Amino acid sequence: MIQLFKVFKSYGTNKALDDINLRMRKGEFVFITGPSGAGKTTLLRIIFGTARPTSGQILIDGINLSRINRLNMDLLRRKIGFVFQDFKLINSKTIFQNVSLALEVAGERSAVIRKKTHQALRAVGLAGKESAFPLELSGGEQQRVAIARAIINEPMLLIADEPTGNLDPEITKEIMILFRSVNLRGTTLVIATHNRELLKDTGQRIIALDKGRVIEERMG
Amino acid sequence: MNIRLWIYFFKSALANILNNRLIHLISMGTITISMLLFGAFMLLSMNLNSWLKQWGESLSMSVYLKDGIDEKARKEVESAIKKFKGAEIKGFISNEQAMKNLKEGLGEQAGLLEGLEDIILPESYEIVFKDRIDNSFDPKEIKSSLEKMKGVNEVQYSQQWIERFEGIMEMFRVVGIAIGGLLCMAVLFIVSNTIKLTIYSRRDEIEIYKLMGATDWFVKVPFLIEGAAQGMLSGIAALMILVLCYSVISIKTIDVLGLPVINIAFLSIHSCIFIVLLSLFLGLLGGFISIGRFFKA
Repeated sequence: MIQLFKVFKSYGTNKALDDINLRMRKGEFVFITGPSGAGKTTLLRIIFGTARPTSGQILIDGINLSRINRLNMDLLRRKIGFVFQDFKLINSKTIFQNVSLALEVAGERSAVIRKKTHQALRAVGLAGKESAFPLELSGGEQQRVAIARAIINEPMLLIADEPTGNLDPEITKEIMILFRSVNLRGTTLVIATHNRELLKDTGQRIIALDKGRVIEERMG
Repeated sequence: MNIRLWIYFFKSALANILNNRLIHLISMGTITISMLLFGAFMLLSMNLNSWLKQWGESLSMSVYLKDGIDEKARKEVESAIKKFKGAEIKGFISNEQAMKNLKEGLGEQAGLLEGLEDIILPESYEIVFKDRIDNSFDPKEIKSSLEKMKGVNEVQYSQQWIERFEGIMEMFRVVGIAIGGLLCMAVLFIVSNTIKLTIYSRRDEIEIYKLMGATDWFVKVPFLIEGAAQGMLSGIAALMILVLCYSVISIKTIDVLGLPVINIAFLSIHSCIFIVLLSLFLGLLGGFISIGRFFKA
């Protein structure tokens, strides 16, 4: 599903990623961990195509990101869900409109959009909040809206950057169960976190980064 | 593209216009003024052309005779005139008749001529040429051949005035094109800047759309609709104001130097459609420029 070959990424003289070689299989659940500034977010952005590597090749579902054109990149993104650290919600739109956005850009029918949006909001425990605006919700609720938007179109790949950073332990547990169920339906999951609690007894693959390099790969 | 998507685009454009209504109102007001000036210029140019055409259709000529010309010479001039194709002598103006005509022309100011009764105004023949469309017709040639006759002092014809007027009209046309071009540029500048402002106010939203996999066109189309709507509505508003101004002006009799001016005609339906389509096109182009620049950046 995801292949990275000799990926380097620098911001000026600062090396964000240093010779990354990774392979993630279809349906795999992978945690990326490491301290702040280890390169977790950069790695996720490179996989998602919002950042270009300084050198190296990235293949997503057999598609080489360095050779993809703009239109195909847009089409590929419709198959990838991304939960951003800063949520990236549109404050002028309601929760319903924010979540349905991913289906709207794909030109989905209104009836399908309505049905799937309600389902996604129910799945993250936000049923009844459809007409609220993001700024009327707590940080944890906004996080869940971002998750609902990322899973609504049943993506082949779900990437999440610190998805439980703003959630209390109980909600974190619920969200992890949700991610697990999404994974069981065949979606490949890549989650970046520095939350050590989250990595305990997961039974999943953990990739540890430090200073832009892979320092450890193990099963949790 | 399907209808559902277009409905979405129109809804999105409408929502954006409503959310940024003040910017759009100011912009539309400015575009309306520009298109109003453009329309007024078209109206003026069209009417001047039509008057010119009407006046040009019949050519009149005045052949002024020399003072104290004898009857024989006068008859020679008369027969020379008749030899010209299409020429018809409408009348002979004697010295007395010329003075009478001048007094009538001056109306209440005829008193100015008191004590000047001794002045002798030249006698003249008033000629009208009917077959003007004939290509062989050349008023300059007629004028010069008549002026060679010993009994003729001077020949004046309305074409001279029309030619001078045509020169002015040509200049007017050139100035019109330049002003029209400048107005179009102004409209483009206004629309592109308004759209640019709305794009920048929504740049985070556009970024999110792109992250969700929206194609460039999915993001661009609502802004283009916004520009086109802005242009079209301004064009319609400009036309409505022009109709209003026209209805006020056209009911009044305009008097220029005592001559009643011919009726003012309004723009043809084609010209009205042209103004609306032009403003729509300029709005669309303005949107295109700003969204194109945004995506390039």
